Amino acid sequence: MTKILASTLVLLLISSFQGFSQKKAEVWRYEGPRFGIDLSRFLTPYLQTAKRNGWEIQADVPYKGNFFPTFEFGMQWFDDKRDGFHYKNNGTYARLGVDMNIVKFESMKDHDIVFIGARYGYSFFNQETDGIGYSNYWGTLTSSVPRRTMNAHWAELVFGMKGELFANFFLGWALRAKFPVSVSNDPNIKPYIIPGLGKTSTDVPFDFSIGLYYRFPIFKTKKLPKPIKVGTAKHPSENEENNRNNQRSSGTSR
Amino acid sequence: MRFYLFIVSLLILSLVSCSDGNRCYDSVDTLMVTSFSINGSEQIKSLIIKGVDRNDLGDTLVNDQDSTLTKRYPLPLSLSADSTGFVVEVNGVKDTLFIRHSMIIHLISENCGFAPDYVISGLRHTAGIDSVRITDTKVNPQSIEKNTNDQNISIYFSSAAHQ
Repeated sequence: MTKILASTLVLLLISSFQGFSQKKAEVWRYEGPRFGIDLSRFLTPYLQTAKRNGWEIQADVPYKGNFFPTFEFGMQWFDDKRDGFHYKNNGTYARLGVDMNIVKFESMKDHDIVFIGARYGYSFFNQETDGIGYSNYWGTLTSSVPRRTMNAHWAELVFGMKGELFANFFLGWALRAKFPVSVSNDPNIKPYIIPGLGKTSTDVPFDFSIGLYYRFPIFKTKKLPKPIKVGTAKHPSENEENNRNNQRSSGTSR
Repeated sequence: MRFYLFIVSLLILSLVSCSDGNRCYDSVDTLMVTSFSINGSEQIKSLIIKGVDRNDLGDTLVNDQDSTLTKRYPLPLSLSADSTGFVVEVNGVKDTLFIRHSMIIHLISENCGFAPDYVISGLRHTAGIDSVRITDTKVNPQSIEKNTNDQNISIYFSSAAHQ
């Protein structure tokens, strides 16, 4: 009898130990602020004839899983030497806004996002021109426009993607449509390049950026963010129709 | 997802790198459009225009000896002084017209460069000119695109002096 009891106890202990060892490891989702640089600012000098150098840093932080309040800050130096003038422009800019992820996270380890976003942008810069030349019947004018400090405000709509290349390192791109709101007035020169805003020769300048980011995984959660539902709201007439149907069905049941 | 990320990135990069060229499509010639006529039924048979104190060969701005042509010409204004003088010879009679103006140089576009913009503030003339009507005080590179019945100034010569 004691042998049977002892063997039963051993079996129970073994089975409970096996059960403990088979218990799944806990899966955490790590999130945190993401800092990065815009690589496209380093490519720009090779894509244009004028000297356009600069840098931009970007940062975002997750909020309720699918929202990413974003801050971007940069500087730009522009130097354009042409036949009839030599234009220089440099300054700093900042953008503040938010991105919203529009795709579903497929697992706790999936941090890839496709986003739409909006920004408010502000640029503080100065410009000057020398070597201006103009000739007509009466002779040749040589002139210059002294340095003037200016600013610009604009709004942006952004669409882009950010994907996790490997743990906490992200690569992303964003296409930006910019809507100038106000630009300081200079009677001699409407600036044709504004730091952060870009070219002013079109009403809605487009821009793109390619960012490389590092995320500091300082928050952890067990919740997988739910995808944002777009277009699920019912039309008011549809609701009225439903109410009428409900009233009818309740009337017949009496 | 990551594969598509790279592909789309490359596509955008290649699209944005396409250059729009460095061509200038705008006018940079700032000229004051001026019409000439004689009061009454008299016609302008010959019209010669030069700048004041410009008497060298090649200094003639207009030499029109055809009475059938419309007497409407674009004239350049001074780049360094605040007034511009013209000697206008109509049917062999010379008159002088001075236009007072202010000027700023302004950027047309990055590809076209700079051009002057003027604002006409006044004028004076000799007795052979009966009157001058200023229709548009602003003289800029778009002025030469004015319709045929539109101009910056219209000069009316005295019929008694130009018979």
